[in-house]
Amino acid sequence: MIKIKTTDRYNITTLRSFMTNILCLLAALVVISIIFLIAGVNPIYAISEIFLGSFGSFYGIKETITKAIPLILIGTGLTLAFRAKFWNIGAEGQLLMGAIFATWTGLTFGEALPPYIIVPLIFLAGFIGGGLWGAIPAILKIKYSINEVISTLMLNYICAEILTMLIVGPWKGKTRFGFPGTNNLPDSAILGLIPGSRIHYATLILAILCAIVLSVIIYKTRFGYEARVVGENPDAGKYAGINFLKTSLILMAISGGLAGLAGVGEVAGIHHYLGYPASISSGYGFTAIIVAWLAKLNPLYAIISGIFFAGILVGGDAIQISLGLPAATVEIVNGTLLIFLIMGDYFLNHKITFQFSSK
Amino acid sequence: MKKWMILVLICSIFFIGFSTIVFASEKKLKAGFVYVGPVGDYGFTHAHDLGRKFAEEKFPWLETIIVESVGEADSARIIDRLIQQQKCDVVFTASFGYMEDTIKAGARYPDKLFMHCSGFKRSANVGTYFGDLYQMYYLNGLMAGALTKTNKIGYVAAFPIPELIRHINAYALGIKAANPKAKLNVKWIYAWYGPDKAKEAAEALIAEGNDALAFTEDTPAVIEVGQRHAEKGKQIYTFSHYSAMQPYGEDSVVSGQLMNWGGIYAKILEDIYNDKFTKDYDILWLAKEKAAILGGNEKDIINPKFVDDLKAAMIESKEFGKISAYDLVVKRYEQMKQGRDVFEPYTGPIYDNKGNLKIKAGEKATMGELLSIMYYVDGVEGSIPQ
Repeated sequence: MIKIKTTDRYNITTLRSFMTNILCLLAALVVISIIFLIAGVNPIYAISEIFLGSFGSFYGIKETITKAIPLILIGTGLTLAFRAKFWNIGAEGQLLMGAIFATWTGLTFGEALPPYIIVPLIFLAGFIGGGLWGAIPAILKIKYSINEVISTLMLNYICAEILTMLIVGPWKGKTRFGFPGTNNLPDSAILGLIPGSRIHYATLILAILCAIVLSVIIYKTRFGYEARVVGENPDAGKYAGINFLKTSLILMAISGGLAGLAGVGEVAGIHHYLGYPASISSGYGFTAIIVAWLAKLNPLYAIISGIFFAGILVGGDAIQISLGLPAATVEIVNGTLLIFLIMGDYFLNHKITFQFSSK
Repeated sequence: MKKWMILVLICSIFFIGFSTIVFASEKKLKAGFVYVGPVGDYGFTHAHDLGRKFAEEKFPWLETIIVESVGEADSARIIDRLIQQQKCDVVFTASFGYMEDTIKAGARYPDKLFMHCSGFKRSANVGTYFGDLYQMYYLNGLMAGALTKTNKIGYVAAFPIPELIRHINAYALGIKAANPKAKLNVKWIYAWYGPDKAKEAAEALIAEGNDALAFTEDTPAVIEVGQRHAEKGKQIYTFSHYSAMQPYGEDSVVSGQLMNWGGIYAKILEDIYNDKFTKDYDILWLAKEKAAILGGNEKDIINPKFVDDLKAAMIESKEFGKISAYDLVVKRYEQMKQGRDVFEPYTGPIYDNKGNLKIKAGEKATMGELLSIMYYVDGVEGSIPQ
């Protein structure tokens, strides 16, 4: 008879953590290969096409980076919220609110101001928009004990409806011939791109800076310490006199604000106008939740996991385009990959031993 | 020189020569298709893909490649990939939401061609194409007006854009021609692909007393609701949209609108192949070109189950005198096939639902006016969401 025994593992080294991830990735690739075999595609060809389409070619890399920008911004913001065990599922709405604030600022003042004034201004507006939208659930949670999972999730839909109302109503642009959507932002408010790509470098630099600053905040400041205490040991926090409302408000303003910055990037960097929610963000607010988890809630790692995840999404295109498989296959492959990576956490934190005994 | 090197040399010369012969002998065209939904949606994307397959079978020189379920926020990347990696000569983007990205792609790749479905922006290498169903909605409206018992008719609508307003109005004009007492109620679901929302909207319309439903949404959800009510003994009339959805509701679907993209795609691709693509290329096909077809399946223009009811319903027509709804539908359909100059639903006098005269008596709306129409005609309840 075989007994399976699990014990908690302590002393987890970076090397072990890294190796576990690599092992999980390999195990996932084996399962994905089987899926490709069933679909009648040579798995080695399939996986090499996915790699070429994401990291292995110039084209792939620039698309991966473009897609990673919002994921890094939102992901780093979520690491802070999740560390305080504030389950912010509302980054999608915070992104859209940032986009709304930025579009208003850009359309209202953009014409008269030079780029070096208007660009920082729209980023500021986006941060404020996302931050305010993020602060609402913080107040609801601390003051009225309303579960933040529900409130942040629902605020996504409310924000999407507000945005839709604006673009079919008062903000509908004259250049759109009755179709919903604002006019294009003035040229001065449009972010520059790295030539030959769609990488809006201002947002990319901002994303990396934010990740660095946030990791300093989390690990080196009193506020970061308080945020962690709020999450890990709220009772101790109370005795220590931590102001829960203030801490939650600040951390959600930052988390929401960063999502708002991502919204600015998408509008001013890529789309240049405010359209329907689905045409502004392809679910970055939700995808970034996984990015934050893969980063083990470390803002610096979120840069890597953001790029990694963007690569998965962009590489998924190859499944459809080069291999001719249906779109649903992309989801299956990405889902498999994620399940394995997240399962790896269990094996990282637990030691599993098999005990053989004769009866 | 070693033997194997000579061998390799001979092989490569042979291979290069061979491949140039193959490529030189025949002019090829590679077309990429970007779809907003899955090809199995049984609505808009399904119909486009049938059209693509038709063209691919027709032309031996044509190679196609599809990408389905492309979010509007992601279309630029997919277009880039089709051009840069797959070396497509022409890319078709089959959703309104891709318009800006298609125009931008046209500027990025001036030596490639782009065709955007349903948009209004064109350039030197970006054309537009569309097949419109508003005439079929008019014919469906005639039937709905003749069949309704409650004089309340419903419409489940996707997004408040001119295309939908044009369809809703045409449906209302048909209803009015058959039954001036009937009113049209519209519910917006803000989704092209949203079976759950469409079901909810259909149930709500039925609960409010509407007994004939048309819709614009890419699944047979509304028809399934109608069929379920019909099976329980409450007759709800529905009109299939875009693809042949009658099999989902044999007891509910009266007729519908079918779109045949095959001819349109074949025409465009042939024009491109023969270098007939010109600046601001635009193609708009209706019933005359057999792009818009009446019916809930490919076989019947009207479900045989409802033919007797429609033959019994008499309508007072200015042009034909007393005529059965069935005969009127058949006559109007024949006229539409001859062209807009023979019969046009949007012929004045047409008032908006606030009483303002929009099209003068005897005048026909131009295609340009129809493509940007943003008012409800008389007979539609409520106002367009602002």
